[in-house]
Amino acid sequence: MSVVDTGSGAGEPVSEDSVARPRRAVERLLAGNAWMVFAFLYLPILVLAVLSFNDNRVVGIWGGFTFRWYGEMFADRNVMGALRNSLYVAGISTVVSTALGTAAGISLERFRYRGQRAYDGLLYLPVIIPDVTMAVMLLLFFVQAFDLAGALFGIDARYGIGTISLSHIAFNISFVAVVVRARLAGLDGRLEEAAADLYASRWKAFRKVTLPLIAPGVAGGALLALTLSLDDVVITSFVAGPGSTTLPVYVFGLVRRGVTPLINAVSVLMLVASMMLVLVSLLVSRRQGE
Amino acid sequence: MTELSTAISPPVAGTTTSAVSIRGVTKRFPGGKGAEPVVAVDALDLEIEDGEFFSLLGPSGCGKTTTLRMIGGFEYPTAGSIQIFGEEVGLLPPNKRPVNTVFQSYALFPHMTVAQNIAFGLEMQDVAAAEIKERVGNVIELVQLEGRENRKPKQLSGGQQQRVALARALVNRPKVLLLDEPLGALDLKLRQAMQLELKEMQERVGITFIYVTHDQEEALTMSDRLAVMDHGELLQVGAPETIYDKPRTRFVADFIGDTNLLTATVIDGRAVRLSDGSAIRVENDRPVGSTVTVAVRPEKLGLRRVESDRDLTLDAIDGHVERVTFLGNALAYEVTADAGDPRATLRIRQGNAPGVEHFGVGDAVRVRWAPGSATVLED
Repeated sequence: MSVVDTGSGAGEPVSEDSVARPRRAVERLLAGNAWMVFAFLYLPILVLAVLSFNDNRVVGIWGGFTFRWYGEMFADRNVMGALRNSLYVAGISTVVSTALGTAAGISLERFRYRGQRAYDGLLYLPVIIPDVTMAVMLLLFFVQAFDLAGALFGIDARYGIGTISLSHIAFNISFVAVVVRARLAGLDGRLEEAAADLYASRWKAFRKVTLPLIAPGVAGGALLALTLSLDDVVITSFVAGPGSTTLPVYVFGLVRRGVTPLINAVSVLMLVASMMLVLVSLLVSRRQGE
Repeated sequence: MTELSTAISPPVAGTTTSAVSIRGVTKRFPGGKGAEPVVAVDALDLEIEDGEFFSLLGPSGCGKTTTLRMIGGFEYPTAGSIQIFGEEVGLLPPNKRPVNTVFQSYALFPHMTVAQNIAFGLEMQDVAAAEIKERVGNVIELVQLEGRENRKPKQLSGGQQQRVALARALVNRPKVLLLDEPLGALDLKLRQAMQLELKEMQERVGITFIYVTHDQEEALTMSDRLAVMDHGELLQVGAPETIYDKPRTRFVADFIGDTNLLTATVIDGRAVRLSDGSAIRVENDRPVGSTVTVAVRPEKLGLRRVESDRDLTLDAIDGHVERVTFLGNALAYEVTADAGDPRATLRIRQGNAPGVEHFGVGDAVRVRWAPGSATVLED
């Protein structure tokens, strides 16, 4: 009897203490670290947001609260033009790269054909090669392609929204394909067989079974493409033509002449847009979980 | 040999009455780099009659699933012909074949409700909405899933999902229903209940069922006929009783049920001599003096006390009880023969019925061998 008593009564708190005490210190350290990382990431954003409401042309000195810079931003034809270009490019490249990337992902995951391995490897290249390399590649490509088009068909192609959109499509396809493929890999191939068994043609099986089930992956890929397109600077600045700048490239150009409250306001706008995209993607993935 | 010939389905040439007719079908899968192609099914000939419950039985990798998938259209044969009610389907895609499949993992569409899952095949065939509603309602009643029409597959138990899979296939009134180990994921109790239910349902709807399983008990319980496969080849086709009582090869005898395999020498066309010198009556067509393997089921052997047995020593082996296992409904004995080199060990199973004498370890016994209970194997 007494043996049992000491075992359940006195033993427990001792063991709990000896295990828990050192862990508490580690936990505190980890929590502290988390807060520091958090501060490191978000303090600059807070500073940026606060200063965009600063009623003083000199960025560092607080001159009171104002919406002036936002008003100026929406009145600035350059900013609005760049914003329009950005949205246009992002829209086109997202739609096209989502369609092509989804098709690429499906072809890699569901079919077997000659040269598939090489295609598989090459498709991921744009994900890993540096933006600058990609930019130079694309620029060289356009130079050659334009020369050829001019020589063969007499077409006078120019740099602009078209080249930017093509470039964004080029790098976005890979990202969409990666995301869609991951979703497809988790999908039981027998579902598609079952659809075929139940008299669905290939297209019907895709429309009614495959697509609804990989929709969260496709949506995720599209959101990723949209985000990447909206904040690309390097590649866009290489392949952009006169008068066809996107918002991030325009901001980059402005910063070289010094940071102004206007830039802060534009940055906050872009920040809010990105946050909304993240929110949407979170909602999408939550729905997928249900 | 007369009994043995019934074990092989008679070769039916050119008839169109078979539900499924497989002739010379071979399936080779490409091997790895530089490796030989893998032969999954090797020159298979098989006739499955209309309205039959037919099972394909064998260990994993024996080619049974590949055969079923070729009938369903998920794999195409490398060579040979597959006909469904006389129509060549070998190279048709699954959606162009008058068959439906119940998949091993059910493969229910997770984004659709039970009713939507079941209606899918009819919708794809552009059946009128009113008819779809009626047929889906009927089949839901058939599989007893009333009230669960609007659930998602995830919200159902394994047994219920199984019924949905069955309903989804049956609602199309296929000419042949293919079932790929459909009960594999269920626990034992439910599996046994579903076995009976499936068999009953098959009799009610009158559709030919082709059932793939590695569970020999399941195949014996449910099938009208079954085929035993190994290494892509058909070893034996026949009624469960024939396969069980008259296995043709060592593999079939061993794979299905428990069996004693004994080496013997042929005396004449009606008897063989076992290694201990005892003569056993077994019909055979082997040359006199040749060595053969005799298979006999443990429950077909009888045990008696040597001293009380006054019969002739024909069809009997004298030995001693080596081990006794009480199984509740039966007793399992291991008896070692008194003579022979090496001494043969026999497994005997006797029902635990009143009046059946129980023996202990070391008892001297005579193993009685009823005529016709043994069979000579081909290998």
